[in-house]
Amino acid sequence: MKLFTRRPGRRPTPKVAKRLGIVGGVMISALVLMAVFAPLLAPYDPTERVGAPFQPPSAEHWLGTNDVGQDLLSELIYGARVSLTVGIVAAIVALILGTTVGVLAGYYPKRLGKVLMQSVDVILILPFLPLLIVLAAYLGRSLLNTIVVIGVLIWAGPSRVIRSQVLSLRSREYVLASRTMGAPDRWAIVRHVLPRTALLATGTFVRAVSTAILLEAALSFLGLGDPLQKSWGSILFWAQSRGAFLTPAWKWWVLPPGLMIMIASLGFALVAFAMEERINPRL
Amino acid sequence: MRRIGLKNLDRYLLVFVVAVSLNFLLPRLMPGNPLALIAGVDVGLMTPDERAEIITAVGLDEPLLTQFIDYWKAVLTFDLGFSYKSGRPIVEMITERLPWTLLITVGSLMVSAVIGIVLGGWSAWRRGKKTDLSMLTGMISLQSLPSFWLGMLLISVFAVQLGWFPSFGAETPASSYEGMARVGDILEHAILPIVTLTVLSIPGVYMTMRYSMLEVLGSDFIRTARAKGASERRVLFGHVARNAIAPVVTFLAIRFAFAFGGSVIIETVFSYPGLGRLIFEAVSGRDYPVMQAAFLVFTVAVIVANLVADLLYPVLDPRMRVE
Repeated sequence: MKLFTRRPGRRPTPKVAKRLGIVGGVMISALVLMAVFAPLLAPYDPTERVGAPFQPPSAEHWLGTNDVGQDLLSELIYGARVSLTVGIVAAIVALILGTTVGVLAGYYPKRLGKVLMQSVDVILILPFLPLLIVLAAYLGRSLLNTIVVIGVLIWAGPSRVIRSQVLSLRSREYVLASRTMGAPDRWAIVRHVLPRTALLATGTFVRAVSTAILLEAALSFLGLGDPLQKSWGSILFWAQSRGAFLTPAWKWWVLPPGLMIMIASLGFALVAFAMEERINPRL
Repeated sequence: MRRIGLKNLDRYLLVFVVAVSLNFLLPRLMPGNPLALIAGVDVGLMTPDERAEIITAVGLDEPLLTQFIDYWKAVLTFDLGFSYKSGRPIVEMITERLPWTLLITVGSLMVSAVIGIVLGGWSAWRRGKKTDLSMLTGMISLQSLPSFWLGMLLISVFAVQLGWFPSFGAETPASSYEGMARVGDILEHAILPIVTLTVLSIPGVYMTMRYSMLEVLGSDFIRTARAKGASERRVLFGHVARNAIAPVVTFLAIRFAFAFGGSVIIETVFSYPGLGRLIFEAVSGRDYPVMQAAFLVFTVAVIVANLVADLLYPVLDPRMRVE
């Protein structure tokens, strides 16, 4: 990978990438606001039975009601909370794991690095979705387990990217100088290597959030998410198991949650794209 | 230079060992009763005698190392045991399901390869132009599309509202179709799952092809080709596309592995009786032996796909050929 063949800043981020990044940022901000102010925005408590089941949209229930008479719009608004929480926290787990492994493997490329990269390769080759499901099945259904399962499976790709950058950083003059002057490895890593991987790590982090949001939705859709949480994936799980997509109800029961998942994942993906263009222009 | 195909063999072996070990260790390391996680049946409802019987059958009373060795023996002799739910041999269940998954994954891969390569090549050729940018944006959006949602929408619109395609299964149940009629019936059922998987695979192929093309476009031999007066057509098809295709084919092999795993979700949406649906049924019915066996089959499929990619690369890219 050709990282920093051009120094960042020398070539301005292409306008298109910047614009896409802004669009992504707006999407994320809107969702965060929705998640934070969910109790104010939602017309009903999403866990209460507030109407007759299987109602089409009406003045009281804009998106109708589900199979037990809960308000679908309220479910949709509260769903942003689970989606964003799982997405961001799982990505933080992945960021910590990926950066640690990436920096260690890049800074000690001989023995430790080889072993670490070998395990990264194994994780990357293992069948991803089946492994995710097997792990989720054994761990049991809770929000924390969803986060853990996603976090421990998506760090491997980012760690490889970070490693290749650290590999090139460790032979730079200032790192060599600090080592020659007797600074411990820890100092060189914390003072010189980590700050220079920060931008790259942030980029992979944002990309990881986008992935994690999709994975959370998929797990919830398969019925492997937290049964007590209202997430967009679980709305679709019930729509599927109650056959809503075989009736006209798909327009208000199936369409909106999927759109929300897509907006959330896309928002982060666009920001990640803009950041990657800045680091490693490929447009 | 060593042969590419064999270079990674030890890695694939390691992947297999890790997969088998995960299968063995996960149920035994999890908190709670390992018996419940291995047998998957309701242990609480069993009499102590039945429980003891299963414990001896699985070997849970043996030392861990003995269990591990026995487990390996079973895996290597394809003795995958029986489903606790249906009582059928697992090998039989898997061989019955595998062809369906292969049908939709291979089918979708071929379609997405053609579309992805054409669009990716076109996009790179028009780099920075409006076509390129809007296609790129579109592909980024497609990557954020939840697969199961797309499948559900396709069913709602094309199967239910328009009635063009069946909404579930791989064949019309209890039909007496023979020969071509049966093939037609199977295709009709496979179309929507294939379309879903195709839409999901296109962005990856497109991105790989586009970046690969851009790299080739910037290389010296393209400048030479232009300098010697080759027509744009000749540059595109004779020089650029030919050299850009190798990474794409490698990617396709890996993408196959990914699509294979993605079948879990697609087959669940379409109630398609493949391997992915099998692992989902096993998980929701807590039929753990079936789940483990299916996971191993997925692992082997991924390894095979990677091997094929390694072997194909030197064939397609003369620069990688062994001296």
